[in-house]
Amino acid sequence: MVLSYFRRTYSIFTSKVLDVPPRLLVLLFFLLFMFFPLTRPGADLLGKLTQYSILAIFAASWDFLIGRSGQLSLGHALFFGVGAYTSGALCYHFGLPLWATIPMGVLLCILVAFLVGFPCLRVKGPYLALVTLAFPIILLTVFLGLPAKYFGGENGITGLPVFFPIEFFTERGFGWKEAIYQQTLAQYYLMFLLLFISSYILYRIAYSKTGIVLVSILDDEVASKASGINTTKYKLMAFAISGLFGGLAGCLYAHWIGVAGLSTLMLTQSFVPIIITFLGGIGTIYGPIAAAYILMFLGEFVLPDAVEGLAGLMTNIGLVSLGHNLKSNITSWTGSATSPGLIFMIVIIILIIKWPTGIARSVVDKLEDLSEERELEERGKRIWKREKKKKSPS
Amino acid sequence: MHLLEVENLTKRFGGLSAVNNVSFHVDEGEILGLIGPNGAGKTTLFNIISGFLKCDSGTVKFKDEDITGLEPHKIVNKGISRTFQVVRPFHHLPAIANVMVSCLSPRASKKLEWLKSPERKALDMLEDVGLTEMALEPAANLAHGDLKRLEIARALATEPELLLLDEPFSGMNPIETDLLTKSIVRMHLDGHTMVIVEHKLRELMRLVKRVIVLHYGEKIAEGSPKEVTKNEKVIEVYMGRVM
Repeated sequence: MVLSYFRRTYSIFTSKVLDVPPRLLVLLFFLLFMFFPLTRPGADLLGKLTQYSILAIFAASWDFLIGRSGQLSLGHALFFGVGAYTSGALCYHFGLPLWATIPMGVLLCILVAFLVGFPCLRVKGPYLALVTLAFPIILLTVFLGLPAKYFGGENGITGLPVFFPIEFFTERGFGWKEAIYQQTLAQYYLMFLLLFISSYILYRIAYSKTGIVLVSILDDEVASKASGINTTKYKLMAFAISGLFGGLAGCLYAHWIGVAGLSTLMLTQSFVPIIITFLGGIGTIYGPIAAAYILMFLGEFVLPDAVEGLAGLMTNIGLVSLGHNLKSNITSWTGSATSPGLIFMIVIIILIIKWPTGIARSVVDKLEDLSEERELEERGKRIWKREKKKKSPS
Repeated sequence: MHLLEVENLTKRFGGLSAVNNVSFHVDEGEILGLIGPNGAGKTTLFNIISGFLKCDSGTVKFKDEDITGLEPHKIVNKGISRTFQVVRPFHHLPAIANVMVSCLSPRASKKLEWLKSPERKALDMLEDVGLTEMALEPAANLAHGDLKRLEIARALATEPELLLLDEPFSGMNPIETDLLTKSIVRMHLDGHTMVIVEHKLRELMRLVKRVIVLHYGEKIAEGSPKEVTKNEKVIEVYMGRVM
């Protein structure tokens, strides 16, 4: 009996997961990230993966807003910053633990999304983009202008509690070095799981009936109203959901690096999700997540190595000063998703020209086409067999 | 009691009166034709009734309830649905999802039969207008005639008591026109009340019992198709004056 139960579960699993290429891809991705630390990678790489998991949540929230309801926000850093600063300030001033401040930060972000959403609903397209662009800048100047005892001024709120404090591990008998590694690992797993959960929720909303209504607003708002849809309500809802996950990313980031700084509200922070989403594919949710890790490997590992090789080549062929310059300023030449440099941007432009609909989306579309072909082929074989059987008796 | 009562409706765009002091009524279960030359204010009238435009004066009453100046989605949820002269499909969505948006509106989901999903209902609606085969095709890939019928399915899915059709026959070939005429007749037999704006008088006159003629925003004639086509003023408007 137990065996038959297992057999049934397995058959459901194969038909619902293994036979659907995108789902299989997600499963592989999940397994890869769960078992990757077993190879004991460096703390450096784990830290980068953690950071980009947080940025992936942020990018997915932006993608939900633009890809589902068609509202272009150029100031998504507002939610990131509000989340980070709320959680940070509550920790700093009231000494609350982070598991209490993060939900409060997220709640405030939803509130801010409603507050910002109301004026934003009166404008559309490029005007909306400009209005949203203004909000984080306003907040930035406010935080900078207030006395440092409230929000830390230029330095931001420092010394925040982090996830899995180091004492947690040293008390359990780990050595100092090992404790740091274990902390990085624990944070890596936490952020990855949170990314998985939040992207799952976003994906479910995006592909639900609510998602269909949101896409109808994106396509033609007038026709959507004529279908009896309260478009204002749905647009505000999209704003709030996006703000929720954007704020969550901000809170996580603040408690990961231990600082709620002004950089969370800066213009570059608003453009991080845009770069990531465009590269992954707008309106897919899985696109920005895949693209975040692609960009991480590009910006943090592949490009610096390539540039170093280039610098070596230049020194060898005689352009010594240029090669030396390149070698000593690798990070500023290449940059990364969070602070783009020249070479990084050139690579991004090439990638976007090559895959205008996004890397992840192109891959998934191709896989779906392949599976459709395979299905047709199998069905064809079945029909052929049946026809043959019919003919053979006569 | 009339289903829809429009009283002294006026709408000006600057110095131009698009609709000038128009009053008429729609009875339950009838098909009312609304004709007139280009720029007569027919579409403006529709836009005012369905809430997309605010009128300057006058009232629109639906089932003895004043609905003047309400938001479009509220009017749809009261039971007045409209189609557009130029088709406005949701390009990214498949045909069935286009109809499903209407099925998800508050009024339609309240009226959904027990144990019936919005998907099922959307499919039924598509079947009514003969688009079942196209159900999973993105609206961007549909032909113009199909889109016109999709538009009607979308309007019907909100369970309207009054349907406003804005030039349903425009840009259709004779076969498509025939199909649409049949489905309009079927809708009429199902008990739907309709107001139809149309330029193709031959198709319209076969369908309606009562016609209103607008000219420069004013109502110049009302009556059965026979009466209206013999009306001198109407002939003058359409053909020009006999010198």
